[in-house]
Amino acid sequence: MSAPAKKKIEEQPKLHGILGEFRNPKALYDVAALTVKSGYNKFDTYSPFPIHGIDKAMNLKKSKLGWIVIGHGLVGFCGALTMMYFMAVMDYPMNISGKPFFNAPAWVPITFELTVLLSAFGAVFGMFFLNGLPKLNNPLFNVDRFKKATDDGFFICIEAEDSLFETEKVKELLKEAGATHIEEVYD
Amino acid sequence: MSKYDYVPEPALVKGDHDFASLTRLVTDINLRPTPKGWYLAMIGANALLAVLGIAVGYLIWEGTGVWGLNNPVGWGWAIINFVWWVGIGHAGTLISAVLFLFRQDWRTAINRFSEAMTIFAVMCAGVFPAIHVGRIWVIYWVFPVPNQMAMWPNFNSPLLWDVFAVSTYFTVSFLFWYVGLVPDLATIRDRATDKIRKYAYGIFSLGWTGSNRHWWNYEKAYMILAGLATPLVLSVHTIVSFDFAVSLIPGWHTTIFPPYFVAGAIFSGFAMVLTLMIVARKIYGMKDIMTDDHMEKMNIVIMVTGSMVGFAYMMEFFIAWYSGVEYEKAIFLLRATGPYAWAYWAMMTCNVLSPQFFWFKKLRRSVGFTFFISIVVNIGMWFERFVITVTSLANDYLPSSWDYYSPTIWDILTYVGTFGLFFTMFLLFLRFLPMIALAEVKMVIPQADPHNYDENHDYQAPKVEIPTPKAVEA
Amino acid sequence: MSHKPTITDSLEFPQNSMIPRAAFGLGFAGLIASFIGYFLQPDQFFFSYIVSFTFFAGISLSALITVMLHHITKASWGTVFKRFFEVFSSNIWVWAIFFIPVLLGMHNLYHWTHPELFDKASAEFDKILYGKSAYLNQTFFIVRQVIYFAIWGWLGHKLYKASVEMDKTSDWGMTTLMRKISAPGIPLFALSVAFAGFDWLMSLDPHWFSTMFGVYFFAINFQAFWPVMILLVFFLQRQGILKDTIKQVHIYDLGAWFFAFTVFYAYIAFSQFLLIYYANLPEETLWFYNRLEGGFEYIAYGLLIFRFALPFLLLINREAKRSRFMLGLVSVIVLVMHFLEIYWISMPANHAGDAHGLHFSWIDIATFLGLGGMFFGLFFNKFKKESMIPQNDPKMDECLSKSYHH
Repeated sequence: MSAPAKKKIEEQPKLHGILGEFRNPKALYDVAALTVKSGYNKFDTYSPFPIHGIDKAMNLKKSKLGWIVIGHGLVGFCGALTMMYFMAVMDYPMNISGKPFFNAPAWVPITFELTVLLSAFGAVFGMFFLNGLPKLNNPLFNVDRFKKATDDGFFICIEAEDSLFETEKVKELLKEAGATHIEEVYD
Repeated sequence: MSKYDYVPEPALVKGDHDFASLTRLVTDINLRPTPKGWYLAMIGANALLAVLGIAVGYLIWEGTGVWGLNNPVGWGWAIINFVWWVGIGHAGTLISAVLFLFRQDWRTAINRFSEAMTIFAVMCAGVFPAIHVGRIWVIYWVFPVPNQMAMWPNFNSPLLWDVFAVSTYFTVSFLFWYVGLVPDLATIRDRATDKIRKYAYGIFSLGWTGSNRHWWNYEKAYMILAGLATPLVLSVHTIVSFDFAVSLIPGWHTTIFPPYFVAGAIFSGFAMVLTLMIVARKIYGMKDIMTDDHMEKMNIVIMVTGSMVGFAYMMEFFIAWYSGVEYEKAIFLLRATGPYAWAYWAMMTCNVLSPQFFWFKKLRRSVGFTFFISIVVNIGMWFERFVITVTSLANDYLPSSWDYYSPTIWDILTYVGTFGLFFTMFLLFLRFLPMIALAEVKMVIPQADPHNYDENHDYQAPKVEIPTPKAVEA
Repeated sequence: MSHKPTITDSLEFPQNSMIPRAAFGLGFAGLIASFIGYFLQPDQFFFSYIVSFTFFAGISLSALITVMLHHITKASWGTVFKRFFEVFSSNIWVWAIFFIPVLLGMHNLYHWTHPELFDKASAEFDKILYGKSAYLNQTFFIVRQVIYFAIWGWLGHKLYKASVEMDKTSDWGMTTLMRKISAPGIPLFALSVAFAGFDWLMSLDPHWFSTMFGVYFFAINFQAFWPVMILLVFFLQRQGILKDTIKQVHIYDLGAWFFAFTVFYAYIAFSQFLLIYYANLPEETLWFYNRLEGGFEYIAYGLLIFRFALPFLLLINREAKRSRFMLGLVSVIVLVMHFLEIYWISMPANHAGDAHGLHFSWIDIATFLGLGGMFFGLFFNKFKKESMIPQNDPKMDECLSKSYHH
């Protein structure tokens, strides 16, 4: 291969995957199930709202978020108690209305609040972390039609990284499943 | 035939809407040029905000002596306004979290709107504890950070619990609100045609694509946040009630305060949502989403929580008598007949009597009447806090130390000024953010459910067949 | 694609079942034993009786509010359980008969019935109780009980009748009627239950008062209602009854309510404790003081651990609410603790003889089994008469075709 030709290949945009558009949630649900059945696992479906039951069609595993939240919650719970114990019992104990320094009932509100606060951090930032967000640059944004995904479009994208990926086969699959529009997506 | 008619469930979204028309209905508001009316409203709100600035500035310059506090009454409008605003700030999280756990899909029409209201109301509430301390420049003493006195905050003090509760509540409500906003911000990003909007909404929507793998974690997070926010919303007003109830003051120290304050908070919060919703849906043409059915449901909540508040008033009065404690008995009699009887009866009329009108279906569905009652309720809830705070302090154990409390102009201006803060924020929200949780509304219309399509992927609207009643054989 | 769910189970309770008779048998045996207990230790008998009475009355009352809320909110989660709720609540008027022993034992139970307390010439004269005599007197007490049971009995009976009629006629208009009954029923219920709490349990310590007590009384009963439902459904399904109709997803909802009201209970009970502990006023704190000594402190700490902390931790996980073993285990623990909590509220007021301090008696068990046997005997006796689920309820299809919400 000559040097200029090689350079040209490098300049060619890399195929990210094949994007298919479908008419409605049910059609997307069915194509997701079909894609899984055909053996693909590097694919994703896109819709303006979560589609009820599509996790089963896509064969999604249970979200790990619960564990992240519990971990954060525990930090909040223990952290609150440790903080108060250090400050009010060890470092600078003060007699407040004759109650014990370790005034457990009175510490419940703050312990509760900090547990909830940290758990909420876990839930929100954990969710963004698991979803790989923020990610402002996404090959799908190169497709003009994909803008409908946040409006009324229902899309599936089978990615080129999938070991079974073959452009024609994937297009055939989507077409048979009733895609209204099929497009190649480049990085 | 039956004597009673079966009332089928009303559709959540009225009119012949599909996904695209909903998108346009909601996001066009943010995309079209700013209307003149908005600027006019903003000028008014900013003028009030300036009043707040002046009132607070003068307070910091002069000290808390500019307020009407006197010797027995060491807590006045500041705490009343704080509790009032925080109470209003309970509806949003209640609607988005508690109703979510109860799977009340009608919440989707109003949750974004009321969450925004919540956040701004809590901001207004936060003004008062911050400025009332006198030396605002050492406000950081309320946080457990090392300071020059080598002392720590008093963890046994309900006022400190409040610091933690309100700041946690604000943070979590804000996060909850933002999480809900992300998909809708992405919708505006994808519809925007100018560069500034594309960038601004692009950044804040974090690159959201609507991926169902993302939705999967997202829904889980939403569920968990709802589960966390539900006890949180109860805890915040509970802790506010502890500010009063852990003390020994007659009329304050009563065990029913926690649930009673929470009920009152929901009561006033729903009323405020209705006040704003009735105006906003008219101006912005949202009657298809924020329907009269929603209004009716909210009126029922107002009726229920108003009756709960009435229940608590009754329990307090009964137990004050039953307790046999002289001072408890005296304070409740003084509330109803003493120098502040006008406030007490205003509170009773607005909070207990006025919501009872909602027993009538006609009135529940009347827009004008609902608007009127929603304002009456918020006046009543302000008086409730006034009655609790002032009457118990002004007339305590020794009649020789009683005194009458009146606010000064600065008390009044500060309170009025917080409306400036509130409406400034709210107008910004209406202008720049989607006022309806678009993705969630789309999720609850029948077209969203894959079960409502046939094998050829054609939509089949769900039908309910009402059986014809049979006669019973004797 | 949507299709009507089909019911494969028989909806009729097996008429030859031994369950109702066995329950009644146990009930009679227990009541006879209790009656013997009455002759041996009358004070102990009455205190044991009010504890068990409250335990079972609380189940019926919780069922009544559940069914009313179900109508008002047009809910569908519990449509398969609705007949259970209705049968429980329609039996409340019968349960009024079982209140008669409490009236007969008023003098043993309630200190405020002693006339010398109100006699200014007497050395026993009690100024504070004298001030309460307009409320705490025997005539008014009896009148109030009649009012409570009349309200509850009427609501329970009406709602049951209307629902059974809908079974037979498929007249969905009945749902409107049931809502019309429930709407005023809920405030009536709230007031009557709060005052019943004051009368039955709070006035055992007539000096003590807590504005929250009515709510607290409701909260303990309502938390305990869900484990009763869970265990009852498990028991019936073991007999092969409603095995396919009541699905795991419905039981999950019972578990979710159980969890929610465990938290609610803890919130109410803790708030009441904290406010009284913090203020430390003698007229209030004494009640807790008496319940944190003499062995009662073990129950108090037990409540914290076994009625809140452990159930909370065990049920917070969604998988746990799907596990029959876990739900069953927590249900049993909480029901034991519920009994102990009523015991803990009531028994320190029993000052007769050497009764000071915690000491269990065989009469506690006898009255519990006696009243429990009668309670479930009455339940099954009525339950077997009609379809076990409200089969023509407009919400039935929605309920039966329910799937997990993730």
